[in-house]
Amino acid sequence: MTELAQAVVNGLQMGFLYALVAVGLTIIWGLMEMINFAHGEFLMLGMFGAWWLHAGYRLDPLLSIVPIALVMYAFGVLVYRQLMRRVQGGDPFTQIFATIGLLFLLQNAVVAGFTSDYRFVNDTFLQKLGGARLTVSGVTFAVPLLLAAGLALVLFLALYLLIERTEFGLALQATSEDRDAARLVGIRPQRMFAMAWGLGAALVAIAGAILVNFFSVYPQVGLQFTVLAYAIVALGGFGSILGTLLAALLVGVIQSVTVVYLPPAFKDAFVFASYLLIGLLRPQGLFGRF
Amino acid sequence: MRRISVRLMILTALIAAALAAARTAPAQQKVTEVLIGSVLPLTGNFASLGQQYLWSAKTAEDIVNNDYADLQIPLGPGKGFPGLGGAPIRFIVRDDQSRGEQARTIAEQLISVDKVHWFNGEGTSGITSLLQPVLESAGIPMTCHACASPTLTEKGLKWFFRTGPNDKTMVASVFTFLKEWPEKGGPKDLKTIALFTCDNLFCQDNRKVATDLAPKAGFKIVLDLTTKTGATTLASEVQRLQSANPDVLFNVQYPAETVVFENDAKRAGWMPKVMATSNGAYSDQTWLEAQKKTNGAAGWLGRDPTAIDLAQERPAWKKVNEIYRKYSNGQNMGELAMREITGLLWMADVINRARSVEPAALQKAANETSMGADKLIIDYKGIKFENGQNVLATGVVTQVGWDGEKHTLWPWDLAAKANFKPIFPSPSWQERESKPKPAS
Amino acid sequence: MARIALIIGALAAVLYPIPLQIQGTTYYQTVGFLVFVNAMLGLGWNVIGGWAGQFDFGPQVFFAVGAYTAALLYVKLGVDAWLGLPIAAAVAALICAVLTYPLTRLRGHYFAISTVAIWMIAQPIGATWEYIGAAQGLFIPVKPRSNVVSAALSLQFAGPTKALGYYYAALALFALTLGLMAWVERSKLGFYFRAIRDDQEAAEGIGIDSRLYKVIARSITAAVFGAAGVLYAFWALSVFPEQVLELNWSTLPIMATVVGGIGRLWGPVLGAVILIPISQIMSTTLGTGPLAGRGIDLIVYGLIIVVIAAFRPTGLLSLPWARWFGRRRSALA
Repeated sequence: MTELAQAVVNGLQMGFLYALVAVGLTIIWGLMEMINFAHGEFLMLGMFGAWWLHAGYRLDPLLSIVPIALVMYAFGVLVYRQLMRRVQGGDPFTQIFATIGLLFLLQNAVVAGFTSDYRFVNDTFLQKLGGARLTVSGVTFAVPLLLAAGLALVLFLALYLLIERTEFGLALQATSEDRDAARLVGIRPQRMFAMAWGLGAALVAIAGAILVNFFSVYPQVGLQFTVLAYAIVALGGFGSILGTLLAALLVGVIQSVTVVYLPPAFKDAFVFASYLLIGLLRPQGLFGRF
Repeated sequence: MRRISVRLMILTALIAAALAAARTAPAQQKVTEVLIGSVLPLTGNFASLGQQYLWSAKTAEDIVNNDYADLQIPLGPGKGFPGLGGAPIRFIVRDDQSRGEQARTIAEQLISVDKVHWFNGEGTSGITSLLQPVLESAGIPMTCHACASPTLTEKGLKWFFRTGPNDKTMVASVFTFLKEWPEKGGPKDLKTIALFTCDNLFCQDNRKVATDLAPKAGFKIVLDLTTKTGATTLASEVQRLQSANPDVLFNVQYPAETVVFENDAKRAGWMPKVMATSNGAYSDQTWLEAQKKTNGAAGWLGRDPTAIDLAQERPAWKKVNEIYRKYSNGQNMGELAMREITGLLWMADVINRARSVEPAALQKAANETSMGADKLIIDYKGIKFENGQNVLATGVVTQVGWDGEKHTLWPWDLAAKANFKPIFPSPSWQERESKPKPAS
Repeated sequence: MARIALIIGALAAVLYPIPLQIQGTTYYQTVGFLVFVNAMLGLGWNVIGGWAGQFDFGPQVFFAVGAYTAALLYVKLGVDAWLGLPIAAAVAALICAVLTYPLTRLRGHYFAISTVAIWMIAQPIGATWEYIGAAQGLFIPVKPRSNVVSAALSLQFAGPTKALGYYYAALALFALTLGLMAWVERSKLGFYFRAIRDDQEAAEGIGIDSRLYKVIARSITAAVFGAAGVLYAFWALSVFPEQVLELNWSTLPIMATVVGGIGRLWGPVLGAVILIPISQIMSTTLGTGPLAGRGIDLIVYGLIIVVIAAFRPTGLLSLPWARWFGRRRSALA
């Protein structure tokens, strides 16, 4: 029984990390319905940024969250203004096409600049807490992951308040629901989309800065996380921040618990199979608005 | 109208005849340069491997084309190929983005457009096996020195050569070591083993060999887990390993997944008595360097093509490493690069001995190879082929010490020279944290 | 005018490899092969993506199903390609239909993730199922055939005309697919698909069973992908999961279709003819020599895609070709 409990705890801890990666996608895709194939590359850029600041300036990744978020916010806005805005009017597939191009561009720009070597970050604050553990009735909690989870919760709370309780958030929601109606009440949709992209990019880059404490950094690192992020946003339901968090935790637990009893190679397959099952019962995801 | 069209037809016929004649004219001109076609995964999933092969190619090109008078390896002294009047070597390297159909297409470009004399690539066993039929039918020598899959040289091909050892040899050396260890002062109570391999071609090849050899070496396989390549967490897998409690863990994973495993094992506070690996992270220079900051690799043992701690006895190794570092942004030759460079220099030697770039001559010279160990920068017993596989390509078993470097454990004669006391059991995570780290 | 363009295009396609064969530069024939395979995949994807308007990122699964089915039939039962291909395409379509019907409960982006889900589930199955070779996959041995017809029917070309054979095989399959898609476009099926894309509720209002027709559309896509998979299997002479389940087998056709013009019959064709040679040229000029390993060619490729998307979102077919090539007289009249 402790084995199962431990697996659940492990899954929850990973779930918070997944939630961090997914939340940026929730804004861009979940709320504004723009498919971004390059989401993983934004994550990767955040990770590289944190690594670079640490390797060059001994800046702890937890502290580099602020500069990275700011830079990536600007980058997200730039991507929207120069690229996504132009393809928005057309077929949704053109958006996909455009972001695939962006993926090639970003991933290989990093390869050109940094080569494909694996990079590692050592002696960060979270890593120094390394093996610190809390054991409660036979189940072990890893302190660094707990702290990361705590950060994730704070971020989610902040985002939730931003989207649900501020004028900006309500304006964003309005724009996503009905662009023309939003325009009629004085909201500038273009501005909303640009800020959404900025926010989404900044959020996933923050996730990268946190992930860098636990994972190696290389140009191709984005895909394995973002595939799960897509499943999480869809599972949670489009437009729901709470849904994303809960779905992420669920995905973490599913991954963790199934592998204790079933072949590990099917780890992500079980997650997606669960998505299909849940999707058939609730086509709009757990908390989806639409 | 009709006159013009008749003239047009005659003209077309003449042009076609000229083109056909140009193609069939025997190429008996003097060889001005030797072209080596190379398809490598320089971007995409296997890019970290591909770049090492690229640097190796540049190193080999440098060695052959420039005069390194006191470098006693094939084609070191002198510029170019003496057997071809000093003609230089030129590598044409192309990127296949780690994609099979891309590799296949580029191979055809190198053969039919660039008209390369020799083909080297692709560096990963899966895609290399896709390329083999193309080269075999084109009748040009093909090599992949660092490709480890045994099946590559079990198809009866006439044009494929591999100087490096394959997985059967490499995994066998690990199990031979484990079997002989008790008689040489090692632990006598290692009975159980768990296999922990990723789900792609490379890892699974290793797993198949291990499944066969482990029982023969006296081990009971208590758990056999195939994990997802690109897994973001291995916590549950570690949990299962912990329950199965094997004495030995046979771990074949790429660097990224190895790091995930290490973090999860640390959180679970688990370490088997022996950490055995084959290739993967253990062969990756950047992973090894990073482990020096955490003692993460201390006690890990695995097969290596060469006794790197004894390599200092080969002055040639140091010199070649210096040349390699020029191209690798200062990274030392890892064992992949060593296998590759050894193979490329052998290739240069073949071309030189053949005194020709005609495929038949190259094939003959390759098959007639009988190169002694003294000419190599790597610990093979020599180079001699059977069905395209170098049967003298052995390897050693090394272990990472507290200094973060690899030390030879086997064969026993080399181990005696290396004079390294094996670390047993594999240190716990607390011990790793508390002991001083080789780098910071 | 379109008729003349079609005839010229067909002639060019048929005659293109001949001077190459004489010169011995068979690489360009293989590029042509890739163009036709991807054009074929694009035509197939256009059915579910362009006409039925559904987000489908999973058809590479059916590409793999086709490749594995034909390979298994050949290796285990000695069934040659001419018979294996229709069987493989049918198997792909059938599996697709069975899997897709329940998925049609999901709409829009949710449906998109469900197509990805099937792909994510297929990967470990391919990597661990021993019967189909697991991670090592299946090898297809070449049996030399006695004459051209036999070689063509079994898709086993050998010798100096190997690339030529595969080129014409791809061209033939592509032409067949094009003809079929042209027929579908003009048929009732095509009408229903586009109705569902334009307004699903309205379509249902006039009695179109949207779930059924989505399944039919996707199954057509699956059949085309399966057929292309067979062609790939016999060309590559091996089928293993890392290669045939690659996401590129759907993203490249999707890109070609978008570049050319989504929803238009010739869109994927134009897109493939443009994108693939460009990527080959980029790779040859920017991905080699001193620039090798820096991914510069892919950076430029990505840039080209981004620029095309930004400045011509409706695809290149929508450029005023007629005005450029045709009726100049009308400007003066």
